Amino acid sequence: MSKNKVTGSFRRRFKITSDDRWGWLFIAAALLVFIIFTLYPVFSAVRTSFLKYKPFGSQFIGWKNYTDTFKNALFFKAVKNTLVYTVVVVPLSLLISFSIAIMILPFKKGTQSVFKAIYYLPGIASGVALSVVWLWIYDSSPSGLFNQVLAFFHIPPQNWLSSSKTSMLSLMLMALLSGQGGNIIIYIAAMMGIDNSLFEAAELDGAGFFKKIYYVVFPLCKPTTLFLLVTGVIGSFQVFQNAFMMTGGGPDNSTTMIGLLIYKNAFEYSKFGLACAQAILLAIVISAISLLQFKLMGVDVEY
Amino acid sequence: MTGLYSKHLENRKKAVFRNILLTFVLIFLALVTLFPIFYMIMSSFGPAVATSGDTRSIFPKRWTLDSYRAFFNFSPHSLRWIGNSFIVSICTVLGNVVFASMAGYAFAKINFKGSKWLFGLMLVAMMIPYQVTQVPLYILISNKLKMTNTYAAMILPGIVTSYNIFLSKQFFQSIPTPLLESAKLDGCTQMGIFTRIVLPLSKTVLAVMAINTFMSTWNTFFWPFLVTSRDSMFTIQVGLKTFKFANETLFAPMMAGATLSALPMFILFFALQKYFLEGVTVGAVKG
Amino acid sequence: MKKTVMFMLLVMLAVFVGAAMAEDTITVMVPPVSGTYLDDIDVWAAEFMEANPDVKIEVIKTSWEDHNGKLQTMAAAGEAPDIAEVSYSSIGSYVELGVGIEIDKYLDAERLADYDQNALDYMSIEGNVYGLPLYITIQAIGGNKEMLEAAGADIASIQANGWSLDEFMEVIKNGTNENTFGFVFANAGVTASDFLNIFGVSAGMTNAFNDELKYTYTSDNMLKLLEAVEAMTKSGYMPNYGVEAGKRMVMCQTGQAMIFGKAMPLFELNFKRNNAALDANDGTAVADSIKADYAFLPVPTMEGMKESCFGSVDGLIALRNHNTTDEHLKNVVAFLDYLCSGDRAAVVDAPLLLEPVCKSGREAYPKYEETGLDEGNVAAAAREISLVVAPPAGVTAEQSANAKLLMDETIVPKFQALLAGEITAQDAFDAIKAAALEVFDESDCVFGAL
Repeated sequence: MSKNKVTGSFRRRFKITSDDRWGWLFIAAALLVFIIFTLYPVFSAVRTSFLKYKPFGSQFIGWKNYTDTFKNALFFKAVKNTLVYTVVVVPLSLLISFSIAIMILPFKKGTQSVFKAIYYLPGIASGVALSVVWLWIYDSSPSGLFNQVLAFFHIPPQNWLSSSKTSMLSLMLMALLSGQGGNIIIYIAAMMGIDNSLFEAAELDGAGFFKKIYYVVFPLCKPTTLFLLVTGVIGSFQVFQNAFMMTGGGPDNSTTMIGLLIYKNAFEYSKFGLACAQAILLAIVISAISLLQFKLMGVDVEY
Repeated sequence: MTGLYSKHLENRKKAVFRNILLTFVLIFLALVTLFPIFYMIMSSFGPAVATSGDTRSIFPKRWTLDSYRAFFNFSPHSLRWIGNSFIVSICTVLGNVVFASMAGYAFAKINFKGSKWLFGLMLVAMMIPYQVTQVPLYILISNKLKMTNTYAAMILPGIVTSYNIFLSKQFFQSIPTPLLESAKLDGCTQMGIFTRIVLPLSKTVLAVMAINTFMSTWNTFFWPFLVTSRDSMFTIQVGLKTFKFANETLFAPMMAGATLSALPMFILFFALQKYFLEGVTVGAVKG
Repeated sequence: MKKTVMFMLLVMLAVFVGAAMAEDTITVMVPPVSGTYLDDIDVWAAEFMEANPDVKIEVIKTSWEDHNGKLQTMAAAGEAPDIAEVSYSSIGSYVELGVGIEIDKYLDAERLADYDQNALDYMSIEGNVYGLPLYITIQAIGGNKEMLEAAGADIASIQANGWSLDEFMEVIKNGTNENTFGFVFANAGVTASDFLNIFGVSAGMTNAFNDELKYTYTSDNMLKLLEAVEAMTKSGYMPNYGVEAGKRMVMCQTGQAMIFGKAMPLFELNFKRNNAALDANDGTAVADSIKADYAFLPVPTMEGMKESCFGSVDGLIALRNHNTTDEHLKNVVAFLDYLCSGDRAAVVDAPLLLEPVCKSGREAYPKYEETGLDEGNVAAAAREISLVVAPPAGVTAEQSANAKLLMDETIVPKFQALLAGEITAQDAFDAIKAAALEVFDESDCVFGAL
């Protein structure tokens, strides 16, 4: 009898049901695309990272691409640049979008939508188009637009993208001034979800506007903030296009970030192996951050 | 409305004053963020001559469409670039809407062997930065599949993304299972349930998915830049990048090109604003 | 029914295979080498296909901006075009990748002899010829004639004998006033390397390697050059901010700069065209431009140095891809030779105001030569070309790849910082030296004076 039971469950486990067939049919296309265009490239990247890649006859060189990476001063400079960019841009952009969301909040739904749309608009234009415009805004001659604004305040013209003192600042400013729309909308959604009774309770305790923000809005938006923080950090680790289009990483490599360095190694210097090794290192860092995210989120849910 | 501001609600004058003040601040900030786009559109109506830019103004001195003409005359394929962008974007959108929603439905509502770990695998893959796959993917497309300069090369790698599968799975999970079970008892096949019950309930999420996919595909520069070398196959973003000159600067035509490349997105945005704004919150966690 | 389908499939297969066998497809990738080049090459491809019916030619047209990056990427994936335009200095990186093709094995000695040996030397590495030259181009500076004369420059003498750095500084000082910079050099972004190349030659560094194949950018001459550049940028006769490549000539045409760089002889045509547009007043002239005559000028020579000029040979090379077979290469090299010789060479070179570098091209040149040019400019260009020093023979692909890496990762970035006034010449020099010693042995570098 017990033997029967075992074979029964065995059969059940390996019997192909109609749901199995339908399930596999439904995911067939997605799975195929996933295997060819994601899974295979990932394995191939790992393999390539151990090669001195040549189109006709690559050589296996073991960990050399990795050790070379750790010996390369430019790699560490790129890491540093990426960190600086991330540490400045991500929190500031959260602060800005949080403040704007707070300001949009008291308006009626229709007005809210208008503001949401206005702030979202710069985000839908392509990075290429915007970088072409920003290149002109940052023109370092005295007639450049930003320099004209500075002249209005009697500040001498700056060398913006051509000076390693201001080039990174310029890219950060550009990131902060375009594309806060998404964050603002997400924050508004989170804030609209806060129960009014909480504010009333806070008011009974004598809390003013800023105290309410600090004691009610802030903690209740924490999961949203964490989400935006983590996606922001991950995104900023991969930032590449603005530096690629506007400075090419210069001057003096002051805007060479890790994404751009990998791109250059791959597609300018044809060092596919080195680029793959560095990309894998980047992936490891990013997954560490993602794990941290789950940890933080998990803690928060319990709380 | 929210209780954050409730303090002034009994004092109308104060509330109105507060709102006017906030409006001013918000409009000022909006003007700052919108300025690059505004400047781009204004400058595109300037004359198509080389300039040193030292007499720059926000509004062109002479209003003309010359620069748009110059952009279209720049390459015999200028118009085609826009067409290519449409072809690539629309195919990618269709692929995602069909295949990602099918896969999302299967993961959400069909109990099949291997579904858990396959879905887990796709989730993990979402976290891998594109830098890891870009080189092997390029070698695969150009060297192994010999697909450079084809629409397939631009469409296939993105035809169904893990992100969209995840998104649709999240949504389909909210559909009550008993509804589907009863249809099944009535003799509906899974395909029938999917097309007759699930899809009609999911118009919004599909629209959001379509729009997000369209936007990211339309604006993508890097991948089409890698896999196209023939100018007849460029998308508008790639074409725009080539629209630079070594020895002189044609500012207005460049802005005309930039405006043209952004125009379809602007039109789409104003037509389907609701879905754009909704789409932002769909992927985010609920606050 | 089944049989018919099978039969049709077989026929289709046969046709397909037949077509593939009968037609050898050659791909050519070129940027707009001259204003009309991308149209011209279609005509030449058609001519060649008519003479060789079994060959099909496909032309991939690129922009200058993307050409090199694209080519490098395609080559690395094993998908290089059969023929591509390159500057001689990048040949090493393709050979290093294993995609270079020694074309002298596929070309008759007699045909090879058509090309000038000195130009051919540029296209060779370790004695193997990897491509054929289109022209020797020179890059120097140019200026507004009238302003130069007003600033006390003796143009005829400068064009005929060159000038010293002191004389140059004096002229740009005189030429500077509140509306005009004496000198402007495009230095924003990667164009900083132009400044370095063009003035490096005047400091005695004609190549990254000397005749003993030692690396020269670690020598005292480099320090001297960096110091001269530092002095120039601090002088106030030059903008102290980054200037985009696209603005330099326009600044001269609008009277905002007297001398500009980099400049090529062919810019005379741009000035002439603009003068004509100003006369016609048809709205096509450069915004706010003034009428001006162009003078092509040599770069000033630093004290104690022999005058020279920065030159580069650009040409077409053959590359390896999945298609490459001996039979195919014969066709590829035949077309390569066709494109680089005879009337084709003359047509490319004429609008660039450069003389062809092959006998057959020179014979055809008079038919296409631009006329009505300023004699002083023509003579100056000819003299400058004669001053160009060819790279030393025997530089290995690895050496040249290392030199390129140093240039991109260290020298240009440090030079950018110097131009922005952020580091001193000595700082830049020390950084370059340190980076060079990481790649080359100490015995492979020159220290002290060249």
